Amino acid sequence: MSVKLVLLKVLGALATLAFVVVFNFFLFRVVDSDPVANLFRGRNLTQEQRQELRQQFGLDGSKLHQFGAYLEQTAKLNLGRSYISNEPVSEEIWSRAWPTIALVGVSTLLSTIFGVMMGIAAAWKRGSKTDYGSTVFTMATYSMPDFWLGILLLVTLGVSLGLFPVGGMTDPGSDATGLALLLDQAHHMFLPAVTLTVAYLGEYAIVMRSSLLDTMREDYLTLARAKGLRDIAVRNRHAVPNAILPVITLIAINFGFVLSGAIAVETIYSWPGLGRLTYDALNGPDLPLLQGLFLVFSAAVIFFNLVSDLLYAYLDPRVRTA
Amino acid sequence: MSTAQVTVSGRRVTWQRRRRALAAAWRQFRHSVPGMIGLVALLLIVAMALAAPLLADESDLRAINAVDNPRWATPSEFPPLGTDNFGRSVWAQFVWGSRISLLVGLAATAIAIVVGAAVGISAGFFGGWFSAVLMRITEWFLVIPFLPLAIVLAAVLGPSVQNIILVIGITSWPVTARVVRAQVLSLKERLYVERSRALGASSRHLMSRHVLPNVSPLILANLTLTVPVAILSETTLSFLGLGDPTRASLGKMLEEAYSAGAVTRNAWWYYLPPGLGVMAIVLAFVLIGQALEEILDPRLKERRS
Amino acid sequence: MRTLRSFALLLCALTALAAVAVARGADGESTTVFTVGFPGDYDTLNPVVGVEVPDYEIWNLQYATLTDKAAADFATTPGLAESWEGSADGKTYTYTLREGLTWSDGTPLTADDIAYTVNRAKAEEWLNYTSTVQNLTAKAIDDRTVEIASSVPDPKLPTMDVYVVPKHIWEKQDAKAVTKYPATDGVGSGPFTLVEAKRGQFIRLKANDGYWGGRPAVDEVVFRLFTNADAMVAALEKGEIDAAHDVPVESFERLSSTDGIVALSGEQGGFNEISVNGGRPESERVEGIGNGHPALSDIEFRKAIAHAIDKQTLIERVNAGLGRPGTTISPSPNQEWIPEIPEAEQFTFDLEKAKQILDAAGYKDTNGNGVREMPNGGDDITLDYVVRSESQSAAGDAEFVTGWLKEIGVGTKQRTVNDATLTEIIGKGTYDLFEWGWTPFVDPDPELSYFTCGQLSKDPEDPTNYYNDANWCDPSYDADYKAQNQELDHDKRVEIVHRMLRTMYDAAVYHVTWYEGDLQAYRTDRFEGWLRQPADIGPVLFSNTSPTYAKLTPTASSGGGGGGISGGAIAGIVVVGLLVLAGVAYFVMRRRTADERE
Repeated sequence: MSVKLVLLKVLGALATLAFVVVFNFFLFRVVDSDPVANLFRGRNLTQEQRQELRQQFGLDGSKLHQFGAYLEQTAKLNLGRSYISNEPVSEEIWSRAWPTIALVGVSTLLSTIFGVMMGIAAAWKRGSKTDYGSTVFTMATYSMPDFWLGILLLVTLGVSLGLFPVGGMTDPGSDATGLALLLDQAHHMFLPAVTLTVAYLGEYAIVMRSSLLDTMREDYLTLARAKGLRDIAVRNRHAVPNAILPVITLIAINFGFVLSGAIAVETIYSWPGLGRLTYDALNGPDLPLLQGLFLVFSAAVIFFNLVSDLLYAYLDPRVRTA
Repeated sequence: MSTAQVTVSGRRVTWQRRRRALAAAWRQFRHSVPGMIGLVALLLIVAMALAAPLLADESDLRAINAVDNPRWATPSEFPPLGTDNFGRSVWAQFVWGSRISLLVGLAATAIAIVVGAAVGISAGFFGGWFSAVLMRITEWFLVIPFLPLAIVLAAVLGPSVQNIILVIGITSWPVTARVVRAQVLSLKERLYVERSRALGASSRHLMSRHVLPNVSPLILANLTLTVPVAILSETTLSFLGLGDPTRASLGKMLEEAYSAGAVTRNAWWYYLPPGLGVMAIVLAFVLIGQALEEILDPRLKERRS
Repeated sequence: MRTLRSFALLLCALTALAAVAVARGADGESTTVFTVGFPGDYDTLNPVVGVEVPDYEIWNLQYATLTDKAAADFATTPGLAESWEGSADGKTYTYTLREGLTWSDGTPLTADDIAYTVNRAKAEEWLNYTSTVQNLTAKAIDDRTVEIASSVPDPKLPTMDVYVVPKHIWEKQDAKAVTKYPATDGVGSGPFTLVEAKRGQFIRLKANDGYWGGRPAVDEVVFRLFTNADAMVAALEKGEIDAAHDVPVESFERLSSTDGIVALSGEQGGFNEISVNGGRPESERVEGIGNGHPALSDIEFRKAIAHAIDKQTLIERVNAGLGRPGTTISPSPNQEWIPEIPEAEQFTFDLEKAKQILDAAGYKDTNGNGVREMPNGGDDITLDYVVRSESQSAAGDAEFVTGWLKEIGVGTKQRTVNDATLTEIIGKGTYDLFEWGWTPFVDPDPELSYFTCGQLSKDPEDPTNYYNDANWCDPSYDADYKAQNQELDHDKRVEIVHRMLRTMYDAAVYHVTWYEGDLQAYRTDRFEGWLRQPADIGPVLFSNTSPTYAKLTPTASSGGGGGGISGGAIAGIVVVGLLVLAGVAYFVMRRRTADERE
């Protein structure tokens, strides 16, 4: 992969991010009816903090001046203060990032594993009951709102059977540490993770299935078969490794999207991550926090898109030389 | 004089060809079992939405008119779908909610398709820096996570049916734009376009006689795949409290069911119908869309999330 | 087949987790932890500035007061002071402190701490202290004697219920720093002192060995903060928490009929109101602070709104039948302060009457769009109705009230915001209607003070430091307020207060929808000794002085608190294990085929 290609991709990603930053300014300082008041809302803000914000964001100057100040502060990761908590927005987001990364990480891992397995089975026995079943399953999970699936799981496994906690990340008040704490968190994570896993699994299955079908049409597989290899060997040795490439890039792309897609699911399960924070910010409405969250979600997606592009270029020889 | 004659007969030929193509497409569609299931389901849903005033009284949606109904009545106690925490008929909410959800989905899709097609066609047709700028914007919208973008837009604009339509429309056009542009580009290369240009046809003529008719099937297929996304978006945004507080939609029903405690008291008749309704509408469109896709262009596979 | 296998795996995972999760093991532990669920969050632990319900509960536990209040009837009883004596004119009281009082860090607690708290609170106008200390001066005579003098006759004395703060800690914070002080030092003189607090998660306190009432039987009190009230109810039913405050009305009935759980509606004067932006008098107007829709400044228009609110229906449909229809505000848990209003003089629910009032006052729908316009060809009247997102009833009430308003031809536009934003909106006067509630103190004075002209917001840059959320005031109310504040004759004071409440009721700015109890529930299996304050009708927790905590004892049969590796934790192991297994299985599949090839 050429340095030039990498450089171009990185520059493209940065340009997109710059666009987000400009868009943010436009939406929250120009379209918004009362931007200055909205920056100051929240009864916990002291007079000194107001003065500080006023100065930092150049609020007494022209829009152009404000834009300059805004760019400077954004570069310093100063995104203003949350109305609700009066903490700096960046700190608020940072403190909530880990629960979301953990939840999204686990569910991405699970949905990839199960999705790929399902896709392989469906492609290998194309037109069989397995294939049909996996299509129906995928269609069903695609067509339901993910948080509604969450409600169904919550009602059955959480409320009616009482197998899992109905919300939160830990048993509040428990002072468990170390392994016990980790396990308590895993117990709480189960339902939201299963919800997201089931919601995204179908997509991996579809991509894996069609990619595997494409691969299987290619000549060398016919050749491998001709050499007398058993079906299962052909599949695992030749077809799957070649077909899995699109899935890997999809993981990178999806990771960014699941991150923001978890908003409603986190809300249902009171999972204290960025999604729940978005919901609380909406209830405020806490505009500085929303603005920061939008920047972070976008940056995450842009970053993972870049990773996926580079990964694809690295893994696929046809692109590598291009 | 002779030119006029050529044009007229040429047009007639084109029309005939198109009619034949359409008939062939319909024959193919009719043989697609999933496609037909989707179509029948969609017709039923649309019929229900149109007939909403006959199926349930709109005034039943207002809590002040339901004070004599029992609260949290089960479907057997209050047919057909029971009541909610205020005693309002869940059936009335479902019928009228489907109507709003469908309306939002279709209207938002209309915006997305018009904007997407306009951007895609002009970017593909005119080329140059103009096209480059348009495509840059399109790519940006494609990369930006849809839900957070819709959330910040809705939060700043405020909750109302118009705004939610606008927000979903604004955020869903780029897929169409990209697909349409690709199609226009390939059309441009085709010989007959070259020939009409050689004959001195205006851009307008090219656009209306050649480009539009050829991209419209594609737009149609794209439309059927944009509606489900729009409906799911409406559901999520309403659930997050960004919907119109005064109009029942399926998403708002879910939000109200959740916040009224239907989950903890397991009032399944309240939280199941809206979810199933969304599923039915989305599935109907997806089935039709996929059947159309296979007929019109087997290679048309675009990201749908 | 492969799909089947992955489904089987998923199924196995579920079953295994289910099996393990059910087998939650109990274990012995030495500390007795009393866990209370609260839906919401604390504001600050600093008694100078906090206003949210859990804030008061922490102060009640951590900071003892000079005089205490009886659990049964709020009668003034000895607290840090064991006795007191009043002067003949009733303006000066001399308190004698108990012997050997100490702060929880071992520092002696002396008369100097009391004098420091009172004098500083008065000098710096600490928000939560002002109503009590504004006319007082305190002097430490010796370590155990403090003299408190009022510049005017004060009907509240000898009750001295302000939270006494430790001078040796608080003197390090100057006037500017003190309002921002997080107060996590954990030094107090009450039955429990703060150990740790995590916003949005929990507040933990431990028993204070040096508490004057003796060390409580409970070792630790933990407040678990829930973002979802339903989750709190589930936690109570599962026994993860021992008691819950602000139980959702929808779950209340179910909890009432659950064995081993007591659900109660604890009345302590709380009420819920729909506030109308009353439009303050001309003389009180401030540039930059709004006055609501012009129609609302017309008392006739406000009366019409009052007639369009069916309180009984709101109670039945939105509040699950809990609560009594309200008339005037309730300034105290003590019902004697609320005046009787003859039915004929009340704003009863009557849509026709409301329409007549509007017609007569010139608000007519001339263009026939169903919405009335301002008189003489003005615009459609659309009111800005702000719904509080934290409230359980506000959205439901709005559904009804906007419906009735529509019936009488008044349009509304709703928006939903949280407490912090609503406080700001109220301070700026940029609303027409909102719903909120109050829980008063025992003495009516603080609640009455909120609706004086002095409590109207004055500074658009800092609009939240004021209490008057009716955006209305009246000179005659203010005059009465001053009079009752210095009236030593109890009956005369009651009469003045009645007149004030009636003035406010007749202005139709504050529509009290219902007098409500705090919905609480507790488990009976682990603790006994629950105290209702006031007796029989009051709440067991989050009451005026919260006496329950210090009196609770573990029941004979109860085990210890939670801790150790729970069943949930084991379930967690299974999840992690399954993840690893799934990964291994995948690679084994690949390996196996490689073997087959060789």
